[in-house]
Amino acid sequence: MKGFSNQFKDLPDYIVKITKEIWEDRGLATLHHYYEKDIPMRFPSGLVRGNAGVIDGTLATLAEFPDRALLADDVIWSGNETDGFLSSHRIVSSGTHTGHGAFGAPTGKQFRVYTIADCAAKNDVIDDEWLIRDVGGVARQLGWEPSEFARYQIKTEGGPDTCQRPFHPSHDVQGPYTGRGNDNEWGAKLATLLQRMMDKDFTVVRSEYDRAVRTEHWGARGAWGCEFVETDWMRLRSSFPQAAFRIEHQIGRNDAGMPNRAAVRWSLTGKHSAHGYFGAPTGAEVHIMGITHAEWGERGLRREYTLIDEVAIWKQIHLHTGNVT
Amino acid sequence: MRGFDPKWRNVPDFINGITKDIWEDRKIGSLRSLYADGLIVRSPASVVVDNSNVIAATMATLAEFPDRELLGEDVIWCDDPKGKTATSDAYVSSHRLMCKATHSHAGLYGAPTGRRVAYRILADCAIRDGAVYDEWLVRDQAAIVQQLGFDVIDWTRDLIAREGGAGACVRPMTPLNNVAGPYDRAGNNNEWGQHYAATISAIMAADMDVTPRHYDRACALHYPCAQDVSGWAAADTFWMSLRAAYPTAQFNIDHTIGRDDALMPPRAAVRWSLHGTHSGWGRFGTPTGADVYIMGICHAEFGPFGAGEPTIRREYALIDETAISKQILLHTGQHT
Repeated sequence: MKGFSNQFKDLPDYIVKITKEIWEDRGLATLHHYYEKDIPMRFPSGLVRGNAGVIDGTLATLAEFPDRALLADDVIWSGNETDGFLSSHRIVSSGTHTGHGAFGAPTGKQFRVYTIADCAAKNDVIDDEWLIRDVGGVARQLGWEPSEFARYQIKTEGGPDTCQRPFHPSHDVQGPYTGRGNDNEWGAKLATLLQRMMDKDFTVVRSEYDRAVRTEHWGARGAWGCEFVETDWMRLRSSFPQAAFRIEHQIGRNDAGMPNRAAVRWSLTGKHSAHGYFGAPTGAEVHIMGITHAEWGERGLRREYTLIDEVAIWKQIHLHTGNVT
Repeated sequence: MRGFDPKWRNVPDFINGITKDIWEDRKIGSLRSLYADGLIVRSPASVVVDNSNVIAATMATLAEFPDRELLGEDVIWCDDPKGKTATSDAYVSSHRLMCKATHSHAGLYGAPTGRRVAYRILADCAIRDGAVYDEWLVRDQAAIVQQLGFDVIDWTRDLIAREGGAGACVRPMTPLNNVAGPYDRAGNNNEWGQHYAATISAIMAADMDVTPRHYDRACALHYPCAQDVSGWAAADTFWMSLRAAYPTAQFNIDHTIGRDDALMPPRAAVRWSLHGTHSGWGRFGTPTGADVYIMGICHAEFGPFGAGEPTIRREYALIDETAISKQILLHTGQHT
């Protein structure tokens, strides 16, 4: 790994090790090295600039959930030392709510959710990032409905005029990473599959998925079989039926000793104009950042992991309707 | 696949195909040819001899859960050269499935609750001449019971009563009532099977420090009672609490299969047994001194992930806690 510390064997090794070093080994200050000073970090909840903000955000989260564990479920990556790498890192994140923080006074409750982080890495440094935490899943496990938690966020961030704005491409900035992934067939397969569902061709589920598929979706919800996949994607699309769907980044991989797999980052931008996952239509303009990971076996797609941040979506809806209390 | 209908492409296709044919497509009568005469089906709850009993049990389950779906998650299999006949090749397969069903009619589980259940089964089948001719099966019975809203021990106590009391109830599988079948081999010698068997054996020898060395730090674990957890501490907790309840019981690896397939991670299927006295505190509460036999089946997937040797990234372990509780209740006499 040219340009990287020789303690790292390959990109997944780098990603897994620095994540542990930063979070579980409490190396918050190592972010001064591992994160570029001006890094743009795009969370569905908003755009954050610079590693100082990342360090403070990490500290706040650890103060609220000191036992937070980040277990590396997979790293699906593309790129090289010269052009830079892009790592799509799927994490099982868990912790106990023992401190004050974004989720209010400590409840003593535990949470377990998936997180997916797309990080661009070059010369031992992360310099561009897109990160989706299952905030809706954490909220539910700590006793909130995601919609109510979004209202609470607006209130605690100073009200509708001053609260942090959820991420929207209109205020995005161009970071150093300009890649779009790789041209591996499995990335293309997943991108096509998502595109077909967003084109409302839901026959794709029964034709492309293994009937025993295991799915892990936003809100810490999962299931076996095709019905859940169909229904959940339909309910999402149904809330935003005319929104523009865009494939932002796609990676496919064939690694020895691993199933074929893919990571696709996508977005849906447009009006909340119909009934679906997000209740009655409000006409709110909404941007949704999504990341999907998939693994295939002999009989089709066997594992699907998709994250969006429901709370960031509800926040956009509430800020539009003004129904914030 | 000499000896099998040419419509089956391979062993997983045969296993998944006949499972769907029998259960979901209702070809229950096909069990007369797909299950060999005299087939012995061993599960922790009972040892069932004879095909007609299997057909009866199948219909009873479908009468109670008519919409039951059996989703085949994996088939870990190997050749069985010693089992060959003049007319057929022989194989042995370990099939992992998720079942989903609605408890919509009365049956073994009592009056219909209308609840949805989802639970796992691991089934080891020896196959040749187009049929299953020997079988070992572990169903996550405790998951079903809990999802229907019952307590495992109370439900088991009630089951003993419904089966006619301690004297008449169905006996869980033990070495006393087990019947040796025609398949007496131990699987294959693939390194992944050997590796997984060695890991479980080390745990059972109380070398619990193997967990962080042999499991990935983020291992995804699927345990009895439909428990989905992850990480070293969760693996340690499951295995520790099991062994702690039977600290002096005899542990035996009964069957091992390992596989390397192009589209899959390296993986393993191990069937094991633990037989001895319930003499310690652990997963089964106050020690009772009951003599207990436990059949377990486990699957593991390995990953070349991060630094060092490939480790276990996914583990699926099943025992039947109702069958264990039944043995304990019958010993203590607390079944009434």
